[in-house]
Amino acid sequence: MADNPRVDPITLAIHATPAFVASAVEFVEATTIVLAVGVTRGWRAPLLGTVAATVTLAVIIATLGVAIVTVVPENLLKGVVGALLLLFGLRWLRKAVLRFAGIVAIHDEELIYQREIAELRAQGLQRTHFDWVGFLVAYKAVLLEGTEVAFIVIAFGAAGGIALTAATIGAIAAGLFVIALGVALKKPLTMVPENWLKFGVGAMLCSFGVFWFAEALGMEWPGDALSIPLIVLAFLGASWLAVRMLRVLLPQGARVEARHV
Amino acid sequence: MFRGIWSTLVGLLIEDGQLAIGALIALAITWAIAYTGGEQGRDLSGWVLLAIVLALVVANLYRAGVTVRARASSARR
Repeated sequence: MADNPRVDPITLAIHATPAFVASAVEFVEATTIVLAVGVTRGWRAPLLGTVAATVTLAVIIATLGVAIVTVVPENLLKGVVGALLLLFGLRWLRKAVLRFAGIVAIHDEELIYQREIAELRAQGLQRTHFDWVGFLVAYKAVLLEGTEVAFIVIAFGAAGGIALTAATIGAIAAGLFVIALGVALKKPLTMVPENWLKFGVGAMLCSFGVFWFAEALGMEWPGDALSIPLIVLAFLGASWLAVRMLRVLLPQGARVEARHV
Repeated sequence: MFRGIWSTLVGLLIEDGQLAIGALIALAITWAIAYTGGEQGRDLSGWVLLAIVLALVVANLYRAGVTVRARASSARR
């Protein structure tokens, strides 16, 4: 794919969509925390924290990410990234299935937002100096979630060429979309169906993991990247089956912590 | 940042350890098939990996459901 100079829109869309959806989930979490800080303590410090974290991330990606993509042999990179995507994807998928089956509580952005506001109010605000608490909370949140976005871009763009361009475009589009929504609403993005997104992203991460690991071993998938949507469907089908099975096993759900399952 | 990486690693290897180990075994089986089965083995490797991982997801979640059901019924007694 890296050797093909023509940008095929279907391939571009296939590679940009998972990066868009996966990054959107991370941006929703970061935006929720920045909004909570801004609403309770004023906007200057959290916005500066966000800018500082973005600059830190750009440095990390420019030094580590590009070095990894350019120095490591493509097949080795695909194999390692494929294995990592599969491991992380399975974790997301498992948790999303357990949430849909009512075994683990649904991730609630509104609850996170209210908890963050209560904690920040409890810490108080001294107006004499720059609000370092607001700055650091926003910096930490954006850097943490942004690191995950960086990992997503590097992972989905590991094939280089179109894949890297598409993953970067997908992540930037997700960031702009979520930030625009946050600015417009000035409320946590509770309408974003986060568990549905995590369910889809988990399936996509697993699918790309399987696809790349097999490609690294020398397999040629029928239709190349066009087989990815079929693999995603297979994962979604198996996960749907698992949700149905768990609902039969536990009709009332259980509402326990994931670590106890 | 390091706390985030640490919690992800702990989550992956301890909380979801059985699934992670199962996935690593599936990757190893696929690798073995691709390297010992020649061209046919390489062309089959992806489908084999997909089939093993799908079975693994369903089996792991079934086991999780049975464990929670057993715990819930013993708590009611």
